[in-house]
Amino acid sequence: MSQQCYEHCIVLYCDQFDRDLLFLGLDLQILSDIFEDLLDSIIVDVASESHRIARLGLDRNLDEEEEELRLSAEARARASNPSHSGETNGKYVVDILGQTHPAIANEIFECMNCGRSIMAGRFAPHLEKCMGKGRKARLKSTRSTTAAQNRYSRGSPLSSQSRFSNSTTINRLSNGSSGIAGHEYSNGKLEEL
Amino acid sequence: MSRRHSVNRPPTPDVQDDDDDRAKEPTLVEIVNIKLIESGEKERLMELVRERLVECGWKDEMRALCRAFIKKNGRDNVTVDDLVRAITPKGRASIPDSVKAELLQKIRTFLVSVAY
Repeated sequence: MSQQCYEHCIVLYCDQFDRDLLFLGLDLQILSDIFEDLLDSIIVDVASESHRIARLGLDRNLDEEEEELRLSAEARARASNPSHSGETNGKYVVDILGQTHPAIANEIFECMNCGRSIMAGRFAPHLEKCMGKGRKARLKSTRSTTAAQNRYSRGSPLSSQSRFSNSTTINRLSNGSSGIAGHEYSNGKLEEL
Repeated sequence: MSRRHSVNRPPTPDVQDDDDDRAKEPTLVEIVNIKLIESGEKERLMELVRERLVECGWKDEMRALCRAFIKKNGRDNVTVDDLVRAITPKGRASIPDSVKAELLQKIRTFLVSVAY
C-alpha cells in the first residue's frame, strides 16, 4: 500500500486515535499488516471458489469457442426441425411423452341427455344448454321438443310424462316468457322475481 | 512389584532450548491477530469487507481474472495457489479507497478498545 494512501486515510480520523496508537507503541505498520492479512484471506476465498467452479465444470461459459459452437448448433437444430421445439409451436403442444394434443378435444360421442352427436371439447357448453343452467324454462322446452320426440320414437314408457310437460310448456311459450325465471300461476301469468 | 506398561511408548522428547527461545515471543502482530479472532471481531470484519467488495464489483473483477487465467492455462492445470498468485497484485491494488478507509478505521477502533 502506498504511503500516500495511508496519509489520506489518516486525515480522515480524529487525532486521538493516532495518539492512542503511538502511546501503545503501535505504528501504522500493524494496521497495514492486519489489513493485508484480512485481504489475503478474502483473495484466497475468491480464488478457491473460482477454482472449484472451474474444476467442477460448473462454469458454462468458460470456453467461449465451445459455447459458441454449441449455441450455433442449437440454433441450427431449431431452424431445421420445426416439430422439435416444445411450447411455442402453433397450437400443438408436445408433452413429455412426445405426444401432441389438439387444442380442442375432437372425439365425438352421443350426449346422454339429448342424444345428439357432440364433440368432446364442446361437451361442457353443450351440457349447459342441454340441461339448463338451472333455468327450468329451457330445460322443459328442450325436454318436451327434442327429448320427447326421441323418446316417442324409441317407444319409451315415459310418454305420458312428456305429454304433461308439453302442455305446461305451451302455456309458458304463449306468454312469451321463455328465459325469465319466475313462478307460474294458474292463470298463466308469470311474475318476475 | 514391577508394572508393565500397557503401551510401549517411546520416551517423550525434551523440548529443545534454542527452539523454545525463538518460538516463545509472539510478535505484536500475532498477539493482535489472536485478540481479533478471540473476540470475534475478525469474523465481523471479514464479513463486512466481503460485503463491501461484492457491492463495488471487486469480487466480480477478481472472478473474471481467475476465469481468464484458467482459460489461458487450461482448466485442469491450475491450482488454487496459482490463482492466488495471479490475482493478488491486482486484487490489492484495486481495493477502493472507501473500503480501505472503513476497514482501517474499524481495526484501529478495535486495537484501541482492546489495549485498555
